[in-house]
Amino acid sequence: MSVRNALLGLLEQRPRHGYELRAAFEALIGGEANWNVRPAQVYATLERLTEAGLIRPRSVTKQGGPEKRIYAPTKAGRKHLRAWLAAETEREPQRDEFFIKLMIALATGGAQPRKLIRDQRTALYRRLHSVTTRRQAIDPRTSLAHVLLLDQAVMHLEADLHWLEMIEARLDVVRRQSIPEPQPKRRGRPPRNEPSNGKEN
Amino acid sequence: MPAVSTEQLTKIYGEPNAAVTALDHVSMHVDVGEFVAVMGPSGCGKSTLLHLIGGLDRPTEGRVFLNGSDLSGLDDEAISAVRRRNIGFVFQFYNLLPVLNALENAALPLSLDGVDPAVARQKAGQWLERFDLGNRLGHRPDQLSGGQQQRVAIARALVAEPSLILADEPTGNLDSLASDQIAALLARISSEWGRTVLIVTHDPRIAAQADRILFLKDGKLVDEAVLESKDSRNAEIVADRMRRVGG
Repeated sequence: MSVRNALLGLLEQRPRHGYELRAAFEALIGGEANWNVRPAQVYATLERLTEAGLIRPRSVTKQGGPEKRIYAPTKAGRKHLRAWLAAETEREPQRDEFFIKLMIALATGGAQPRKLIRDQRTALYRRLHSVTTRRQAIDPRTSLAHVLLLDQAVMHLEADLHWLEMIEARLDVVRRQSIPEPQPKRRGRPPRNEPSNGKEN
Repeated sequence: MPAVSTEQLTKIYGEPNAAVTALDHVSMHVDVGEFVAVMGPSGCGKSTLLHLIGGLDRPTEGRVFLNGSDLSGLDDEAISAVRRRNIGFVFQFYNLLPVLNALENAALPLSLDGVDPAVARQKAGQWLERFDLGNRLGHRPDQLSGGQQQRVAIARALVAEPSLILADEPTGNLDSLASDQIAALLARISSEWGRTVLIVTHDPRIAAQADRILFLKDGKLVDEAVLESKDSRNAEIVADRMRRVGG
């Protein structure tokens, strides 16, 4: 997902200027280590949300201070936010970059598949340790939400490690099978004497 | 012969001009059937030590011996084979496959390795019975409690009969009661069934179940505590030692 809807939601909670908005996002997500959003990205998103008519800026000046632009959602913005909250949250774990890498390595011989698996495993164990360490530094009595977020990261990393074990154990079978290729499609109209996919006209 | 030993084990990460020494000439050993916990402040090198012993990473210097054989003499492929045959990892979450029952989940590593299904089921059943799950073999994960799922997951780590069990913060997500149970189970795996267990933990209550604790700081082995008996005051003793180390 993009940070767009998160930022829109935080503006619905309270109108804010860009700097405050970035700080609010960082606090929500549990720090830069979890999700680092650069200031430029926040300002670009604010611009796009404004152009789309989902938020509206208002200039305020605080007793001699510099002029600041405070943003708040428009009616359309609030409608957009409600629709996003109500919509199904999609996950696409089958869009897996490591899987693609492994298949390309098998297809091209560009890398040793077992080495890819080993390197990936080492990297996952390191990340697992670093996420676990960060989670342990959080007090669940005050920040349970962030503990739960990192628990999810640990679960996914551990599942990835199990998956690598499965691939490693069965790599030879995968290797013996041919790399998936598209099924050749027949061009043109089907011959007249063949049934047309069983469909009745 | 110890189950695991290291000689002057050193790991340096990064480029020479920005190098970080994660592990600094550590020599240690774990005897066969011993339960050892590694503790130390964040960044002390404890996970690096575990990863080097687990064959997940290569040392910059020094050597790792598993059952007397030197891992540094092996190529990556051979290290992978040693790891798969000799080392079982215990994770924090169970990640059991929902469509398989307890027996099938525990047997999975053997099934994947092409072991005869009857043998795989028999071995898995044996571990599940040891873990008091003999009457739950046909239950799927959603029919098991969290603690039972964790025991199935530990059975899965043991089913290929690894000589060494490794765990990096094995109880991170559990409440303290469940943590105590897992720690007690790890202790039984070593005391009753003679498996070697090496864990990294920050939790004195978990470490207190071990036979021996190694304390690391700044990549160096700085202290060691032998816990002769399982005493309820051990956790306090461990916590006190941890404070002295600076954790």
